Amino acid sequence: MPVVDVDPDELRDLTGREKSDDDLRADLFDLGLEFEGWTEDDEMQLEFAPDRLDRLSVEGIARSLRYHYGDDRGVYVPTTNDAEWTIEVDSSVPEGRPYVTGAVVRGLDMDEEALQSLIQVQEKLHATMGRGRAKGAIGVHDLVALKGAPGTGGEKTIRYVGVDPDGDRFVPLDSDSEMTPADVLSDHPIGDKYGDLVDGFDRYPAIYDSIGLFSFPPVINGRRTEVSTQSRDLFIEMTGTDQWTIDHMLNIVCYALEARGARVERVDVTYDDDATGEFAGETLDRPDLSVDRKTVTHDRIESIIGVDLSPEEIVDCAERAGLDAEVSEDADVDGGAYEVEIPPYRVDVLHPLDVIDDIGRAYGFNDLAPRYPDVSTVGGRHERSRLEDAARDALVGLGFEDLLNFHMINAAENFERMNLGDPREDDAHAHGDVLGAAEPTTIREPYSEAYTMLRTWALPSLLMVLERNTHRAYPQDLAEIGLAAHLDESENTGVAERRTVAAVLARTDASYEDAKARLQALAGAFGKTLETPPTEHPSFIPGRAAEVVLDGESAGVIGEIHPEVLVEHDLELPVAAFEFRLDALN
Amino acid sequence: MQLPQAQVAVLKTADPTEDRPITEVAQAADLKPEAATRAAFALEAEDLVEITEHEETAVALTDEGRQYAEAELPEVRLYEAAIDAGADDRPVALGQLLGDAGLDGDAVDIALANFARKGYGAVESGEVSADPDADPAADAERAVIGALAAGGAADSADAADLDADEDVLNQLERRGLIEREERTTRSVQVSDRGVTALMEGVEVAERVDELTPELITSGEWADVEFAEYNVEADAGAFRGGKEHILRQTANRVKDVLVGMGFEEMEGPHADAQFWINDCLFMPQDHPARTHWDQFALAEPSEIQELPEDLVERVRSAHREGVGEDGDGYHSPWDIETAKSLDLRGHTTSLSMRYLSGHQVGELDPPKRFFSVEKVYRNDTLDPTHLLEFFQIEGWVMAEDLSVRDLFGTFTEFYEQFGITDLEFKPHYNPYTEPSFELFGTHPETGELVEVGNSGIFRDEVLRPLGVDVDVMAWGLSLERLLMLMYGFEDIRDVHGTLCDLQLLRDVEVVY
Repeated sequence: MPVVDVDPDELRDLTGREKSDDDLRADLFDLGLEFEGWTEDDEMQLEFAPDRLDRLSVEGIARSLRYHYGDDRGVYVPTTNDAEWTIEVDSSVPEGRPYVTGAVVRGLDMDEEALQSLIQVQEKLHATMGRGRAKGAIGVHDLVALKGAPGTGGEKTIRYVGVDPDGDRFVPLDSDSEMTPADVLSDHPIGDKYGDLVDGFDRYPAIYDSIGLFSFPPVINGRRTEVSTQSRDLFIEMTGTDQWTIDHMLNIVCYALEARGARVERVDVTYDDDATGEFAGETLDRPDLSVDRKTVTHDRIESIIGVDLSPEEIVDCAERAGLDAEVSEDADVDGGAYEVEIPPYRVDVLHPLDVIDDIGRAYGFNDLAPRYPDVSTVGGRHERSRLEDAARDALVGLGFEDLLNFHMINAAENFERMNLGDPREDDAHAHGDVLGAAEPTTIREPYSEAYTMLRTWALPSLLMVLERNTHRAYPQDLAEIGLAAHLDESENTGVAERRTVAAVLARTDASYEDAKARLQALAGAFGKTLETPPTEHPSFIPGRAAEVVLDGESAGVIGEIHPEVLVEHDLELPVAAFEFRLDALN
Repeated sequence: MQLPQAQVAVLKTADPTEDRPITEVAQAADLKPEAATRAAFALEAEDLVEITEHEETAVALTDEGRQYAEAELPEVRLYEAAIDAGADDRPVALGQLLGDAGLDGDAVDIALANFARKGYGAVESGEVSADPDADPAADAERAVIGALAAGGAADSADAADLDADEDVLNQLERRGLIEREERTTRSVQVSDRGVTALMEGVEVAERVDELTPELITSGEWADVEFAEYNVEADAGAFRGGKEHILRQTANRVKDVLVGMGFEEMEGPHADAQFWINDCLFMPQDHPARTHWDQFALAEPSEIQELPEDLVERVRSAHREGVGEDGDGYHSPWDIETAKSLDLRGHTTSLSMRYLSGHQVGELDPPKRFFSVEKVYRNDTLDPTHLLEFFQIEGWVMAEDLSVRDLFGTFTEFYEQFGITDLEFKPHYNPYTEPSFELFGTHPETGELVEVGNSGIFRDEVLRPLGVDVDVMAWGLSLERLLMLMYGFEDIRDVHGTLCDLQLLRDVEVVY
């Protein structure tokens, strides 16, 4: 979840209310912004759910507070000045990053706080909507350092193009020397972090004015146009893989700067006829501060919130949420409807339901009285889960300690330490298809070497528990009923998942007979006939292992664990064990 | 007549003509006083003896009193030293006498105070003169101490037997040399019935350690006396099996949910991202869908088949939205991602399968379903987080469900576990709207703690699945509920191969 650092004094300035820190914290909590602690600079760390990304800036949070206090109502759209600048999109722009947007912001009263806030909103937008700059990356430049070139839009044109990795040079931020884009990737510290985003591109994204290359999105800006506390007018550009996404990131930034007293000036984005992407040959007027509209029915609002509401209450709640609503003239909806306008900084309203949620929040969800739904249904357990429970009860009755182990394991525990070969290795087939020797389901990028696959059987888990509890009192009679899985092409997922019943008896006199006596009792409890024809299994002592056959079906294995396996697990007393498929008891 | 050995001894030792103290009878019969008393009461219950109780004051020497009984009272020692030094004639220096009498420390003050009180002489200006007519042999206090010391090991006696007046005893008690205690003594006398029984013959019943099958079937059990056990002694350790604490908790949850009308779901652990994420309207570039959050499978890597029409509806929901005014995501969507296999990061994949009609056929609302099953997260392993844990998942499918129905259902559920005063904090999930984080009051600490996540499924989730009524759902981790209810601090002790058998053996049951 996103975390933003906010100076409470800035919130007080921007809301115009002298709230104490504690009151602010309570108000912010009501909005869903949780106080996580203080930063070293005495800023509040606020965490919130990633829907309201317009709150990634202190200005956006202040705006939400003003609506919360009732100081603001309804949709606010700033007025914008006509475009002087144009961004020309060249056909050489790489296909992997076809889109660009931009705006000019003038008359900013920039100070250290405003600059920090601007840097933070960029970083936070990069991390969220921008998907680590892959989907959208922001570049902010000092307008006085830019020199427009004559172009399609007039004298003040900058160009978004693709350049050869070594095709041009510029001085990037945090550097003193000229570098090519390729140099940035190999030598600049930031190149490490974002180099992957242009990896494989024939041409790298680049932005030019008449002086030359000044930005290498999405990696780094040039030093020439660096923003400082002296900056008054800014040029903002954003590039990315989706026009809607970068346009809305731009809206959030423009609203934040406008809240500090700046004026927003539009920019024309002109796509070449041969440009890649959806907008070839079109000119876009940006930022796009048009409002979105949704029709929301009165019945749906009432049925979701669960109370009767008057149209006046609904309009009032919408306006307190920063939306505009009016009763729809469209008369063919039963119970009536509302035309709702959504401001251009909102990125989370996809459906009328999202509007209803806003209305509910403004109404106060926690003021609603709970009621138990008058809906009658019949409950019940799944048959498999009842079988599993009955078998577990029987095992516990036989004196076994019921265990619960992880389904994830590694090959060493599952195979090698049990004296089994890894079935994925060529010479392993000597074991045939004994229990546990099936091919495992493997994990692509494991969290740790201990958990790389799903277990193919459960006895390895029980042996691991014995190994870790040699200091505890014996006898240790342990059992587990749980999942085991192996590859199986006849399954739609390619994985055969089964519940398996595994048990070990670790005691100074543990014998095959002890294990069989218990298995017999278990089979008997489920009305199953048990047969135990001799078999061979590398985990068991030769001549002391048998197949578990229940009602004529082979279901597992029983025997005395091989001393090699015992020694491998640091066990100093004999262990008798069995494991079989749970569904064999069905 | 057959009687236990102790009763026979008491009956034979007691006298038919005179009351004898039980202590005396016990001594004569070679029994412990308690055993003789117990036997006497048993005999009285059969009218074989009569017991008489006397109240008396027991006087006993304290440690200090016993010391003086042996070494003489300090004032007497001072007097004797004074006489020996000729202090009856002329005063003698106190220092010299103390040395002669071997007195020091507290004994000096005791000696001086009582020397004067008893008129043994006078002490003036550091010199002692003794009264030649004083007679320590006639000292009443000294006599009592002597008599008590002569009385036996307990150094005690009935006050009535001591030839001492109350003042003397009070004085000795003030000096801390004796203690007095009210006590009841019992004496016993053989009754007429007892005499008759003795004349007819009384035998000791046989004493046995073990009740054997032979004793029961032969009827001999009626004539034997069973050896008494020390029933308070510790017994040896016994260990039976026990259902795992987390399973017990899971079953408790299942019981509650079944009681509330929920049916249990079941389905694959390794599943296509389609069921785990796409059906849930999670955009394919959502940060939670990266391998950093969920375990992607290397082998196998892809599901073989997905229902084609459903895939198309889900894709359309992602790209174009649902309904006239619906917008899709501005995120890429491809079938390869949907088909790729993960270990499920939540059991909502089961809910999607059930709601789609592909698991158990089309559902006819109203319905309630639940599961308490394992999920897998690529999270940091620490005392409160595991890579695999159990998720409790439940949903209600019906027409016109409101957030109030959701509040009512969850209030009911959590109250079953002692978690009350539920609060619903508006929240955001990609798949529900409205969404609420659930907070409840901890049953032990009273703190407000997060107990789950809930909401009403979005139209973008339900319409592609073919569901046109409302579905409200919630989820929480079973381990979290266990830790809240039973105060475990490190979940790794309980769940997994790092578990401590002792903890599992000692843990209290859940009901």
